[in-house]
Amino acid sequence: MLSDRIFGLVALMVALAYGASATQIQASFMADPVGPRTFPILVGCVAALCALVIILRPDDDPEWPSLRTLGALAFAVAVLVGYAYALGPFGFLLPTAIASGVLSYQIRPRLLPAALTGIRLSAGLFAIFKFILGLGLVALPASFTG
Amino acid sequence: MKHLVRAALTGAVLSVAATAVSATECIAPANPGGGWDFTCRQIGKILYDIKQVDKPVQVTNMPGAGGGLAFNHVVTERNDDPDLIVAASSATTTRLAQNAYAGRKASDVRFVGAIGIDPGVIAVAADSPYKSLKDLVDAALADPSSVSFAGGSAVGGFDHLKPLMILKGAGLKDITKIKYIGVDGGADAVTQTVGGFTTAMTGDLSGIVGFLKSGDVRALAVLTEERVPGFEDIPTAREQGYDVVAGNWRGLYVPRGISDDDFHKWADRLRAVAESAEWKKAMADNGLAPFTMVGDDFQAYVDKLVAEIRQMSKDIGVIQ
Amino acid sequence: MDLLSNLAMGFGVALSPFTLMLAVIGCFIGTIIGALPGLGPSNGVAILIPLAFSLGLDATSSLVLMTSVYYGAMYGGRISSILLNIPGDEPALMTTLDGYPMAKQGRAGDALVLSGVASFVGAFLATIGLMRLAPLLARVAFLFGPAEYFALYLLAFATLGGIASNNQAKAALASCIGLGIAMIGVDNNSGLPRLTGGNLHLYDGVDFLVAIVGLFAVAEVFFFIESHGKGSSIGVKLEKVTIPVRDIVESGWTMLRSSAVGFVAGVLPGAGASLGSFLSYMSEKSIAGENAGFGTGAPRGVAAPEAGNNAAAGGALVPMLTLGVPGSGTTAVLLALLMTLNITPGPTLFSDRPEVVWGLIASLLIANVVLLLMNVPMVRIFVRILSVPPGVLLPGVTMVSFVGIYSLSSSYFDLLLMIGFGVLGFVLRKLDVPTVPIILGILLGGHMENSLRRAMVLSDGDWTYLFSSPIAIALWAVAIVGFIAPMFLRNVLKRPQRITD
Repeated sequence: MLSDRIFGLVALMVALAYGASATQIQASFMADPVGPRTFPILVGCVAALCALVIILRPDDDPEWPSLRTLGALAFAVAVLVGYAYALGPFGFLLPTAIASGVLSYQIRPRLLPAALTGIRLSAGLFAIFKFILGLGLVALPASFTG
Repeated sequence: MKHLVRAALTGAVLSVAATAVSATECIAPANPGGGWDFTCRQIGKILYDIKQVDKPVQVTNMPGAGGGLAFNHVVTERNDDPDLIVAASSATTTRLAQNAYAGRKASDVRFVGAIGIDPGVIAVAADSPYKSLKDLVDAALADPSSVSFAGGSAVGGFDHLKPLMILKGAGLKDITKIKYIGVDGGADAVTQTVGGFTTAMTGDLSGIVGFLKSGDVRALAVLTEERVPGFEDIPTAREQGYDVVAGNWRGLYVPRGISDDDFHKWADRLRAVAESAEWKKAMADNGLAPFTMVGDDFQAYVDKLVAEIRQMSKDIGVIQ
Repeated sequence: MDLLSNLAMGFGVALSPFTLMLAVIGCFIGTIIGALPGLGPSNGVAILIPLAFSLGLDATSSLVLMTSVYYGAMYGGRISSILLNIPGDEPALMTTLDGYPMAKQGRAGDALVLSGVASFVGAFLATIGLMRLAPLLARVAFLFGPAEYFALYLLAFATLGGIASNNQAKAALASCIGLGIAMIGVDNNSGLPRLTGGNLHLYDGVDFLVAIVGLFAVAEVFFFIESHGKGSSIGVKLEKVTIPVRDIVESGWTMLRSSAVGFVAGVLPGAGASLGSFLSYMSEKSIAGENAGFGTGAPRGVAAPEAGNNAAAGGALVPMLTLGVPGSGTTAVLLALLMTLNITPGPTLFSDRPEVVWGLIASLLIANVVLLLMNVPMVRIFVRILSVPPGVLLPGVTMVSFVGIYSLSSSYFDLLLMIGFGVLGFVLRKLDVPTVPIILGILLGGHMENSLRRAMVLSDGDWTYLFSSPIAIALWAVAIVGFIAPMFLRNVLKRPQRITD
């Protein structure tokens, strides 16, 4: 009950904020009977209505993960974000090995298999992407290879 | 897993020639399938075929902000990369002129050259009552809201500017009354026009070649200085009394920070592509007209274009 | 007969030991590309174009290779949908709804074989349709203006309410999320950016592949971290892989109907494979009624979208070849390939370059047969994916997703967006908010708005323009029926004495 109410409230806020920012959209020099604002505002309103219904008629609460698991999830998100930033500057192999190793450890908390998974996935996927599919991946940053 | 490995080996053997070492990269600042993608792939293929580069050119698609993302990427991250070329066209200069690349200017990169031009064209359906550009312009002058155009660019884009320039030149005051719908590409614009949903289409000659042959559309005017070879029966707008010349050139730019030697190397390579039989055939097959301008001349041409389009866009009201 | 002699010429061009080998390789690579989340048919074909050039293939061989990859990817998309609940590409989205529940029941093999057969039927019928009707069907595109397209998209959204969800408000909110995201980016009708916050990366809008991979693949990883793999399809005891003859026979009519629906959706430029599979699924669902168990692992719910999307893939070739209008991202890439080979599609292609057209059709037929022969035995290998420990499989899927998305735009921004969608997907699924409507909103929302606004520009704001043609009126009628029928049917079907087949 509470989960849905909170979710509905958040959705309501977002929908209203969306609708409000839609009123600020620049109009064009050309005549356009519908205009660039109508649709987004409409979407915001309908979404707000749905959110209200959810607040008023909530479903039963789902089973939320424990605080510890939430921490693990937050950590996983952080690792993925770091991976997203690292893929460009540090090449493919190293970040992939680390990120997939960490994820593997989080799903099955055993150190050695996780480390092996990371290394194997990184090398295997690199081979597949680079040599079969011909994507322009960079293995290692240029500064490593000179 | 064993099968996967076997497949991997087969594939690796097949593609080892393609991806051995990093080579020249051509950025197409759009999704696969568009004009910039065509430029990269065609020029890249010919560069390799005529042995101007020793490895196949790798095409990277970097869509975003109508080319703005790629432009920004080149300026900020690849400014001194001598192995990088980027596909460009009139759309690039139009957006630069309308300041649509978040403050970036044409001088932030170096324009190598253009090796072909897609002439602008105004066409109507075969069963349209308008027989000449004058018929269409007169109808628009009499009642601006009676005429509608479909084009492949967004409102305010290059395809939209073409009819507006003609109509403004003809003395129409309130050009915002002219209806325009921006659809997904030139062929789509033809479909809408042949279907009778819009009065006329504005686009590139290459986009309507097939429809001209099949007799579905009638071209009222090409926007070139002279009639286009191979399409001599289409009159120019200029000879009908409307002095508008607008073509979509296909070319390349390179990062600003490369050495003059590297720049001239690219200019020479591009000229070699322009002179190759392969490119001449590709142009003929795709409805491009010859237009080669490479090196410093081209930079001056681009500057002039940007200034002109900026003035035009201000006059029309696209930008303040 | 003209058709047969043309076809014979096509096979004469396209059938040789070398092209057959290319077809096999293309189908295999295509299947893998389709199955990998984030790599769909369009970037698959784009990735392989340079390969065709560097091998020095001629026009026919390149076409055979690319069409094999294209059809292969359409086949392959279903694999990860069924096994992992992660659509390999956007047309395979609807296959998750019943395919994954089947896999959870241990019937992954059945689902894969059935969907393979359905894909074959859809693609085969579409190819027949392409060769018999293409020049005729090309004219259909001329009948669809902004008003007709608007009604068509409206039809899709009207039936959206029928998607499995216990809470209609949540399903509606989900579509609003999708629609809201679709509005982001440069507005085609004013040329100005909307809701981008000045961020250049958002000017072209949010790519639906980023959303799909985030909402499905990345969210799935979070679920595995939470549960350590319990309650998923992985590790479920699998039944022996056999040919589910009964399911195939029972879905016969479903496949035929869905192929027709999909083909028509494919022929309309701007509708494409996703709409084809969606409309096929929804129409089969309403024909079958509540008791057929759509959404809980009904075989017909697997056959319908697969036949639909493969038929749409074939149908999409009609406007591409005859008008040069690409109906989808993939056909846009094929169009680019043809143009690089100096073949310009258009209304005269069929008469100017018959060898190209019939060679292409022959290679489609070859690819299709190769795919069927390859896919059914390979199901044994595919289902083994489920015996890979989750600690290896899920990180692998994540990395594939990252590379796939990175290859789209080479920017970290899309990756961050994808992670954001992953978190959103996790929270929404916890709260029982369906995620499929979000994707449909992103896929179709922009088109719907654009067609409405184009219609209003052309008519000077006159609303009656929307109902000004028989096609538009018919589509509106179907949309209204589709919107009301589920509410009405639900009451009828709840009567206990009702007997269904």
